[in-house]
Amino acid sequence: MASTGETVTAESAPQTVRTRIEYRRFNVFHRWMHFLVFVSFTVLVFTGMPLKYKDTEWARWFMDLFGGVTAAGVYHRIAALVTVFYWTLEFTFMVVMVLRSRGKLLRSPGSLMPGKKDLEDMIGMFAWFFGKGPKPQFDRYTYWEKFDYMSLMAGTVIIGMTGFMMWFPLWFTKVLPGIFLNIALVIHSNEALLAMGVIFIFVHFFSAHARPESFPLDKVIFTGSVPVDHYKAERPLEFARRVREGTLDEVLVEKRLTWRIYAADVLWWTITAFAGFCAILMTAFIIWSVFD
Amino acid sequence: MTRRRAAALAALLTVAALLGLAAAAGAATAPVTAQSALGVTGNDACFHCHGQQDMQNRTIDVGGEQQDIFVDRALYDASRHGGLACTSCHIGFKPGLHGADETQAWLITAKLTACDNCHADVFAMYRGSFHGNLVFGESSGKAPVCADCHVAHNITPPGSAAFRASIDSLCARCHPDQLKTYLDSYHGKAFFLGDAKTAVCTDCHGGHKILPPSNPESMVSKHNLVATCAQCHPGANENFAGFMVHVDPQSPRSSFAVWTFYALYIMLIAVVFTFGFVHTALYIYRGIKDGLYRRNRHG
Repeated sequence: MASTGETVTAESAPQTVRTRIEYRRFNVFHRWMHFLVFVSFTVLVFTGMPLKYKDTEWARWFMDLFGGVTAAGVYHRIAALVTVFYWTLEFTFMVVMVLRSRGKLLRSPGSLMPGKKDLEDMIGMFAWFFGKGPKPQFDRYTYWEKFDYMSLMAGTVIIGMTGFMMWFPLWFTKVLPGIFLNIALVIHSNEALLAMGVIFIFVHFFSAHARPESFPLDKVIFTGSVPVDHYKAERPLEFARRVREGTLDEVLVEKRLTWRIYAADVLWWTITAFAGFCAILMTAFIIWSVFD
Repeated sequence: MTRRRAAALAALLTVAALLGLAAAAGAATAPVTAQSALGVTGNDACFHCHGQQDMQNRTIDVGGEQQDIFVDRALYDASRHGGLACTSCHIGFKPGLHGADETQAWLITAKLTACDNCHADVFAMYRGSFHGNLVFGESSGKAPVCADCHVAHNITPPGSAAFRASIDSLCARCHPDQLKTYLDSYHGKAFFLGDAKTAVCTDCHGGHKILPPSNPESMVSKHNLVATCAQCHPGANENFAGFMVHVDPQSPRSSFAVWTFYALYIMLIAVVFTFGFVHTALYIYRGIKDGLYRRNRHG
């Protein structure tokens, strides 16, 4: 691989085959993890929310769509098992990575661990919102991305535990008193609303679609890589750190711009448009039921 | 609609009996028997008047309650009791035009004790129940009689899916708060959205022999609750039976523990959503103001 300085300019160099040097933000593991979260979360929301808002008309539409409340329950449980699978895999992966680095990974500026800089960044962002300062520069993950990840990982434990309590009440009440089943329903139902709000509106979808830097679609979680210039502007600290540490080569990939890339682009757009549609639909339905 | 078709049928019957009716109306002061005036006997005689369309909106006062005097013949004939004579249940009926006062006795008989003649076993259970006690016992109070749940002239077979699906609304006429908490429970949500197998009121409380939880014989008393749950959940123990169906998470008086978690989550959701909304709105505002949406497009 070329050295750092050459790589950056390689993008504009004349090529026989049309290729582009891109910055690989997510590897295949990350992308598959996201795909599993994406599919299972959507199924869980659409089969679960009609129960929470059972008095609404749309609750019945969805139950009809899934073939009844019993069938919806089966899909909900299958998606729950997918959730257990991805969570366990992701958690194991994280633990192994942290252990392998002897804890260094947790202290790295590119880590998902929240730190003092995140608080400073958040204050800095509010200052920027009001035109009182420059936009803070980010490393690999912004504070809202860390919140997104942490809340999903922690929320999954809470919603998963309460979900399994309701799935296997006989087993859990061998030890726990019955009121835990009442509490489980309250937690499961409200944690679901919280998670949906975070994912579908305020944090995840906003950061992927509506943020000025990513509007109208940030498809990096699907494609894995982005043009180097863009990434450099988005996450200047990580870029500078890699240049300084000499590890930039590890994340640069040569993307061959064949028809497959464009076909894949169409696919990501379709999937994301569908997901966006689902999110807007469910959000609208819930707002409707709250004000109905 | 069947109701409309039945009304048309009633209208036809009316036309057929016009002559006789005119005679009956003319002789209102001197009651004549239905048989002699109309030349018909049995249920036909009753339906000559009570099957008429213009009877539909007429009610009489029976013990302070408004009672319909119209009977939809098509629905009655098609019902489980369709083959029975009207007088099988309206015991003590004397032929002839009848006023509200004399009607009262046989209306109550028909709604309640007439059932005993054929359904003695079930009736005995009902008589010993909380509801039956309110009707027959010393403590008087308003309580449902047989026909309040098993509609009198259009009786639905109790084993049918249609009857099962109506149980919640039958009980809710007197127990609306319990219905609300039931419908927000696991069983209730599933039932409300069309699960025919999930537990309804009568599966836990019983149908005819409903007793308050304080009565040891009650299905929901401490002694029997585990067995009641085990009907559908074999292996249920006391912990399992400790689950509260009728709990309102929004009320601290219902269950303080459940309410605490509910309140905590509402606060958490309010804080996260408010912060999320403000952060998002400001971000978009800054993005538009600085023209970032135009400049930062990328492939």
